Amino acid sequence: MSEMKKIKNLKEFSTSADRFEGANLLCPGCAHSIIVREVLNATNDDLVLAASTGCLEVCTAVYPYTSWDASWIHIGFENGSTAVAGAEAMYNALKTKGRLKQPDRNPKFVAFGGDGASYDIGFQWISGCMERGHNMMYVVLDNEVYANTGGQRSSSTPIGSSTTTAPAGKVSYGERKNKKDMVSIMASHQIPYSAQVAPNKWKDMVKKIQHGMAVEGPVFINAVSPCTTEWKFDPKDTMMITDLATDSLVFPLYEIIDNHELNITYRPKNVVPVEEYLAAQGRFKHLFKDQYKYLIKEWQDRVDEKWAYLQRREEARV
Amino acid sequence: MANTGWDEFEIGAMLRTFEGEAGDIAGTLQEDRNYTQNSSFSASVADWRIEKPVFNKDFCIDCQFCWIYCPDMSIISRDKKMIGIDMDHCKGCGICVEVCPTNPKSLLMFPEKEEEEEVIAAWPAKEKKEK
Amino acid sequence: MAFDKVELKDIEVWDGNFAASQALRQCQIDVVAAYPITPSTPIVEGYGNMKANNQIEGEFVMVESEHAAMSGCIGAAAAGGRVATATSSQGYALMVETLYQASGMRLPIVLNVVNRALAAPLNVNGDHSDMYLGRDSGWIQLDAYCPQDAYDLNFIAFKVAEDHDIRLPAMVHQDGFMTSHTAQGVHTLDDDTAYGFVGDFQPMNDMLDFEHPVTHGVQTEEDWHFEHKARQHNDLMTKVLPKIQTAFDDFEKISGRKYNLVEKYDMDDADVAVVCMGTSVETAREVAGEMRAKGIKAGVVGIRVVRPFPFFEIAEALKEVKAIAALDRSSPNGAPGMLFNEIAGALFNTDTKALLSGYVYGLGGRDLTKKHLVDLYTELQANVDAGKVTTQLQQFIGVRGPKLSFL
Repeated sequence: MSEMKKIKNLKEFSTSADRFEGANLLCPGCAHSIIVREVLNATNDDLVLAASTGCLEVCTAVYPYTSWDASWIHIGFENGSTAVAGAEAMYNALKTKGRLKQPDRNPKFVAFGGDGASYDIGFQWISGCMERGHNMMYVVLDNEVYANTGGQRSSSTPIGSSTTTAPAGKVSYGERKNKKDMVSIMASHQIPYSAQVAPNKWKDMVKKIQHGMAVEGPVFINAVSPCTTEWKFDPKDTMMITDLATDSLVFPLYEIIDNHELNITYRPKNVVPVEEYLAAQGRFKHLFKDQYKYLIKEWQDRVDEKWAYLQRREEARV
Repeated sequence: MANTGWDEFEIGAMLRTFEGEAGDIAGTLQEDRNYTQNSSFSASVADWRIEKPVFNKDFCIDCQFCWIYCPDMSIISRDKKMIGIDMDHCKGCGICVEVCPTNPKSLLMFPEKEEEEEVIAAWPAKEKKEK
Repeated sequence: MAFDKVELKDIEVWDGNFAASQALRQCQIDVVAAYPITPSTPIVEGYGNMKANNQIEGEFVMVESEHAAMSGCIGAAAAGGRVATATSSQGYALMVETLYQASGMRLPIVLNVVNRALAAPLNVNGDHSDMYLGRDSGWIQLDAYCPQDAYDLNFIAFKVAEDHDIRLPAMVHQDGFMTSHTAQGVHTLDDDTAYGFVGDFQPMNDMLDFEHPVTHGVQTEEDWHFEHKARQHNDLMTKVLPKIQTAFDDFEKISGRKYNLVEKYDMDDADVAVVCMGTSVETAREVAGEMRAKGIKAGVVGIRVVRPFPFFEIAEALKEVKAIAALDRSSPNGAPGMLFNEIAGALFNTDTKALLSGYVYGLGGRDLTKKHLVDLYTELQANVDAGKVTTQLQQFIGVRGPKLSFL
């Protein structure tokens, strides 16, 4: 086990040497990149990275350029998790056989995927990786939509969001189903660590990533990633939207250790009404018409209910 | 790399980030790395910008909010101090300005064509907080 | 080395599946990521049993689908080591996306394919539908006719695939049940000789070399994609067959067993020839002998390397023949069969006057009987005598109901 990188405060963190490069093709203001930086900079260990097809992948490895300073692989839409699991298996094999080129290194195996690649098409692959116990981390860049292909609904898209395949219209308020709870689903694989993170709360993020890298076995991280293009807000407002997401408790920050110890890791001093979070994004604009205002109330109730549930679980240590 | 033929690149469309041995990359700052032409670090997205951030170090408190929240690795911090902006990699999103907590802000957006010295000379004064 | 070697008898009674398992054990694979499917399941069961008994040091990862099996193999191969798996039929079909990704990324994975029909209707028995499904996927495809071949061709596959001039994945095909579940005497290599033949894995562009980080699986659009695909095709067309030939020659030196890109049987003076693959080659050889006793100069050409297709070797093997039957064990579904087309292509622009006809047979494991082949050779001789193809160009043989023929 290598020594964990010491990151007491932001000034200390800012001495990190990024292993993810600029002049990638992500949109101005994209949160994916902020999350990736915080994850990679949480460790000084060597990295073996994978990405499923999606915004991050198509914007960071467009021939003849790569934005990655560590070994990185992309295979397809559904199998970023298994790509890194295969690499981890090879690492174990070569370690056993004494054939590692740099046996003193202590690599971390991390896969990134969007919510489409993770909640939908790659769900089975991630489940397999979590169940088999690979020593790896899977990070969802959760922007609640197929952003790379132009904004189609995924099973992470929340109720009332207008997407290109479930658009708001004369008789539609957009998405009709609420997103599935991936953090719990993955925790149910009896993995050592499952958590939700947000890039605005960088310290919480780093703590969770470091915890995840320190434990033996599979780790699942769901990172809220506000999408300037599909959530329809000004690129400069990415962090403001992220603040609204965490402070309205639409994206509560918590962790589940060994599927039985739930800890809430961030309690906003001033909880923001969900309405403010919705109002800041074009994808929810139609909800403010009279006919759909009841949905905003339902949104608030749902968020309150989930928050109460998380608190009950935290208290009960289950 | 432009216009090379089918027989002129490595098989499998594989790319290398560094010339020679990489060494301790996590412990090596960008200026000390030996990037290949294939690293996007060698490329520029400066032409994406409509507006550019200008940094006025007079008001900076080195909080590093701009560094942590920059999506494009374009805030250059060295020895815990913000020293400038990487204008090859900045896409002009404006997040750094939004998260800057000083009063007046140490970073502001200006049209791409504005001269840096001129806008710093005309930097806005401290705003009075309304109670 | 912490694993136990195994003392094999000179001749073991193995079916094709177990022969493949034993070859994988002897090659000392670093990672096998696999998923069970009939009829290839016993390959990974056999391998798992060897792992459970300390005969294997590598990692054995039983994943949740064939797509994941090949995905895991790709990740492992890109990490840098020897990788193999096995599948059949529907599993192969599920894998197809990743087959193209493995070959496009130039990763030397060995896939044992126990050939089986494709649904619908569902069928577990052997035909070549799965083999044909992958024929444009950029893999090397070797074809075994019997358990001995299935054993030997695995060594050839690793030797060729991992060569730094090649770096392409390779399949070893064997017929479902007919080879995979039929026990025969298999001449073995001892563990050291077998491993010595394939040699230590030589990494290339390996992700686990932290001093040389690599990016695998990039995006290329219209400005680059064509060049990369052209490079892959070039290497398949120009480099692979000579390398396979060299591997065959080297293998003969250690085993005494000689393999060829196309396997000619009684072709020196043949008037009529059957071209086929898999277990049918052995049946055809037996019938060809019987036809010669009846005065018909019959021969057999077996395809040993399906991809890259031995274009010139086929033309050479068939240049003096007067009538040829191309036997395809996969429904072409609206076209002449693959072998018919490839042979026609190889012979066109040559001086041949041979009459070529195609036969679709054996779908879903339907037997190809000696009677079928006797009739077929007789038909070929009738074509020779008439100086033209006396039947339609495509015929189905062994199917119930009114005679089916086309073209």
